[in-house]
Amino acid sequence: MSAFPSGYHGMTLEVDLSSGRIERVPLDASDVYDYLGGRGLAARIFYDRIDPACDPLSPDNVIVIATSPLLGTNAPTAGRGHMVFKSPLTGMIGSSNCGGTWAPAFKATGYDALVIRGRAAAPVVLEITPERAEILPAGDLWGLDVHQTVNALTTGQGAGLRGRVLCIGPAGENKVRFASVMNDKNRAYGRSGPGAVWGSKNLKAVRVSGREKTEVKDKEKYRSGAEQAVYLLKQAPATKRLLKELGTVGLVELIDLIDMLPHRNFQDNLHLDEDVEKISGETLAKRLLERAAGCYVCPIACQRHTRVGDKKGEGPEYETTVMMGPDCAIYDLEAIALANYACNELGLDTISFGGTLACAMELYEKGILKAKDTDGLDLHFGNSRILEEMVRRTAGRQGFGDLMAEGSFRLASAFSHPELSMTVKKQEIPAYEPRASFTQALGYMTSPTGACHLKGGYAVSLAFFGGAKEIPRFSLLQSPTSIRNMHNLGILQDSLGVCRFTGFAFSVDPWARMASGVTGLDFSTAVLEEVANRVAAVERLFNIEAGMTAADDTLPERFSREPIVVAGEERVIPPEVIDRLRSDYYRARGWDEEGKPAPRVLESLRIRRRRP
Amino acid sequence: MSKKTWKTSEDVLRLFQAVGRASLLHDIQDSHSGNMAIRHRDEAGNEWIVITATGSQKGDLDSSQVCFLSPTETDFGYYKASSETDIHARILSLEGVAASIHAHTKDLTILTLDDAAKPNQPPPFMPVDLLGYYYLGVVPVDWVEVPSGSAEMARIIPDRLARHPAAVIQTHGTFTRGRTLKEAFFLACIANNSGAIVRLLRRVGVDVDKLRRKVESEPDSSFAYEPPAYTINDDETCEFPEEKEILLEFRKTGARIFESRLSPFHTGSISVRGVRSLLYAPKGSMPREIGGPLLAVPLEAGDADSAELRLHKQIYAASDFQTIIHCFVPEAEAHSHWELPGHEGPASRVVPIDAEGSFLYLVIPVVPARTRLDELVRLLHDYKVVVVRGGGAWAAGHQSLSEALHHLSSLREICLYRFGAFELGLDLRRMEPEKAKRW
Repeated sequence: MSAFPSGYHGMTLEVDLSSGRIERVPLDASDVYDYLGGRGLAARIFYDRIDPACDPLSPDNVIVIATSPLLGTNAPTAGRGHMVFKSPLTGMIGSSNCGGTWAPAFKATGYDALVIRGRAAAPVVLEITPERAEILPAGDLWGLDVHQTVNALTTGQGAGLRGRVLCIGPAGENKVRFASVMNDKNRAYGRSGPGAVWGSKNLKAVRVSGREKTEVKDKEKYRSGAEQAVYLLKQAPATKRLLKELGTVGLVELIDLIDMLPHRNFQDNLHLDEDVEKISGETLAKRLLERAAGCYVCPIACQRHTRVGDKKGEGPEYETTVMMGPDCAIYDLEAIALANYACNELGLDTISFGGTLACAMELYEKGILKAKDTDGLDLHFGNSRILEEMVRRTAGRQGFGDLMAEGSFRLASAFSHPELSMTVKKQEIPAYEPRASFTQALGYMTSPTGACHLKGGYAVSLAFFGGAKEIPRFSLLQSPTSIRNMHNLGILQDSLGVCRFTGFAFSVDPWARMASGVTGLDFSTAVLEEVANRVAAVERLFNIEAGMTAADDTLPERFSREPIVVAGEERVIPPEVIDRLRSDYYRARGWDEEGKPAPRVLESLRIRRRRP
Repeated sequence: MSKKTWKTSEDVLRLFQAVGRASLLHDIQDSHSGNMAIRHRDEAGNEWIVITATGSQKGDLDSSQVCFLSPTETDFGYYKASSETDIHARILSLEGVAASIHAHTKDLTILTLDDAAKPNQPPPFMPVDLLGYYYLGVVPVDWVEVPSGSAEMARIIPDRLARHPAAVIQTHGTFTRGRTLKEAFFLACIANNSGAIVRLLRRVGVDVDKLRRKVESEPDSSFAYEPPAYTINDDETCEFPEEKEILLEFRKTGARIFESRLSPFHTGSISVRGVRSLLYAPKGSMPREIGGPLLAVPLEAGDADSAELRLHKQIYAASDFQTIIHCFVPEAEAHSHWELPGHEGPASRVVPIDAEGSFLYLVIPVVPARTRLDELVRLLHDYKVVVVRGGGAWAAGHQSLSEALHHLSSLREICLYRFGAFELGLDLRRMEPEKAKRW
């Protein structure tokens, strides 16, 4: 392994749950230079192994979790892992990123990536240490919630080799299409339904522990990047004040200020100030906060550990607060927090849950859903009393919860009103109003995973917090390249295993020096730019082979037809603007009119198909 | 019987006000100094010389301070007009000349001072920067017995301006001429900028005469390219009115470049890349009240592209940058020739010694005039701002114009801190962060 670049172990662990076969497979050294790590490396490994046409809940689906060369160093926020799979919610690539401590612990076992395929005959736990990897029976864990599972798998361990657990809850076991995989009890690989894929494989948990170190080749270069990053994180108001002092929920009032806070299943963006204040970061700090904390080596420390009565938990985060809150016309912070705790314990994506509930509420208010359909539950907008109960019924697929568990698109389609599902590629739109920014809208449209604030480029960070990088919100000309560049920045952050919030303070440059310093490779910003373009192309190739077309890169009709007021002007995203933005985004990427990466682009990015 | 009235014209007044205010912002005038004049044909077809009033504040002109004079007869406006009206009238009679400006251009005028016994003939001024070299060439400098509004000046200056775009009267200031007032102002700003660069070079001990000899003998290798001829009558062009937010960004950025003296009037360039076209301001340094052409051009290279536009297109073709700004930052140009103590030859990088600069930019590279494009792009990727010796400074942004502007503004400040520390006698090498030296 000495020939392998520093920062990597050069080894993948491949597990076939059907046969029980476990293999150590050397990484291809060229892949780490071309795909870096995390999201990029996982996407490449995934693309090489999966049949894009497979049923996401079949044994043929492949899960890849990859780490980055920065994991195991003290690079700020570099503790994130990345999971890629075929999504049961969208049918496209699922690509989910998570903080916490599991990923660094996994890397310390001596592997850069974990590949899981097949289906175990009965529930199992995968145990990984530097010495061995084993598939263990987990029948006694099946049915336990996330907290119970983590407790069961970590109690009684020696202090020196404390295992870290990644697991699913009952929602994943029940194959809820937006079930999450949880880490450190409350951190989630949340979007696109990885938990359902784990559930379909009878995989309850992966426990890891190890002591393998990450070497740094050029300490000086690494340190210069790390110092600059920390300095800039301490400078930017969003990282040094907002997220640190209020957590992500501190965004609520600011996003309302720029007219991007959704309301009533995105029917409008109108809120009373006093309502918004009820769910603000300040209110959370006054009423629920026990302490703040951070993920692995994170100086931002945006975690909020909270309490509602006797019940302790974490969060709610911004997205959760808004999707279960104003998007459902609910401004009851305690109810939102309790529902959030339940999502964490049961393993549910809070964004898709909130979006699906908002859709159900609109169906209900419009008389399309009747009380008999909802098991008698009153789904009027604003009814906070049903929040937690609805989470439990969804995770358990109980009664109406079974329909909720399919996500809003399938729910609304079942009642012949798919237009009331606020989704892109069947994934629920997160808590930023697309009519308030072309860049935000285009980000949702072209995110490879369906609507996602993070995979979609996190454009809001430029709309309001961009500082010198703030961009026009309604520029037809600039939005396509802006969002392409934001997508690329996100791909690099995910591939480096670092937090999206660092983007509030700086872009790629410090990471380029840290990555080059750790590996001794030339990961200049120009090289990283090429890596990002390569990863985007591979994700796109998979989606196309999985059946996606240009028609999927669009927004629900509501955003073209129903205006909202943004900065005093009525705004929609007209169909011709949608078409133009999409077409120009493809051009900016070097993709054809159908959104397929052109052969010359694939050639220049050295992307070749390796599957038979 | 008709009563004579004070003649005025809204368009002319607006132009004089805009150029007057801009000349103060660019610090080529004091509150009352200088004057400007144009030839003007009114709607009735009458010819006029329009000139600022004597003692008027150029930054706050009103209609009573802009005098319309008949070129053929003396009228009451003549008695209020500049004391140098006769000089301007003769300049305006030169073929192809329709405007003239006299400005104190302190950075250049100071360089023409001497303590020799009078009368004497001072040497001409030779710019060492790209803009001065190509737009001005040799700038004649004259000593005159009465250096203000004199008949001697009215004889010498038009003669000089018949052969040179700019001429200096020792101890007084510069006269420039143009087809339009904006062109005359453009040349006055270039003249002052060239003077500022030479002054900075002298402050840090650069052998300016040696540099001049090099520039004169090897202009091709001393400068990045020959700039395009100054264009007139295109400043109102706007080819992307529908992009309201970007339009605002261009105007804001252009004004900031001008007001912060990041580049002389109507020099440098600004661009934002789209997928199908490029939005381009070829006169990047644009005062708010004057503006400049705002063009939408194809992304693909065209035969008619200027060298500057070609570079914008080439950088975009080789990168994912969203915005580019090119400026002729005088402090950066001077720094690029600075031979730092302990080093042979001009510096190959600018190392920030101030707190913010050193965290934002560990170093800023300086490259020779004819650096290959791929090298320039590579450096822009790694450093975001690059100084081209004899070619201005290029900055790029991944998202916004503001981002690229910030790089150039920081560059100027970083240079100023370094010059300041040097003047204080401080050891720059000890002040430069260790990490910057190792990179």
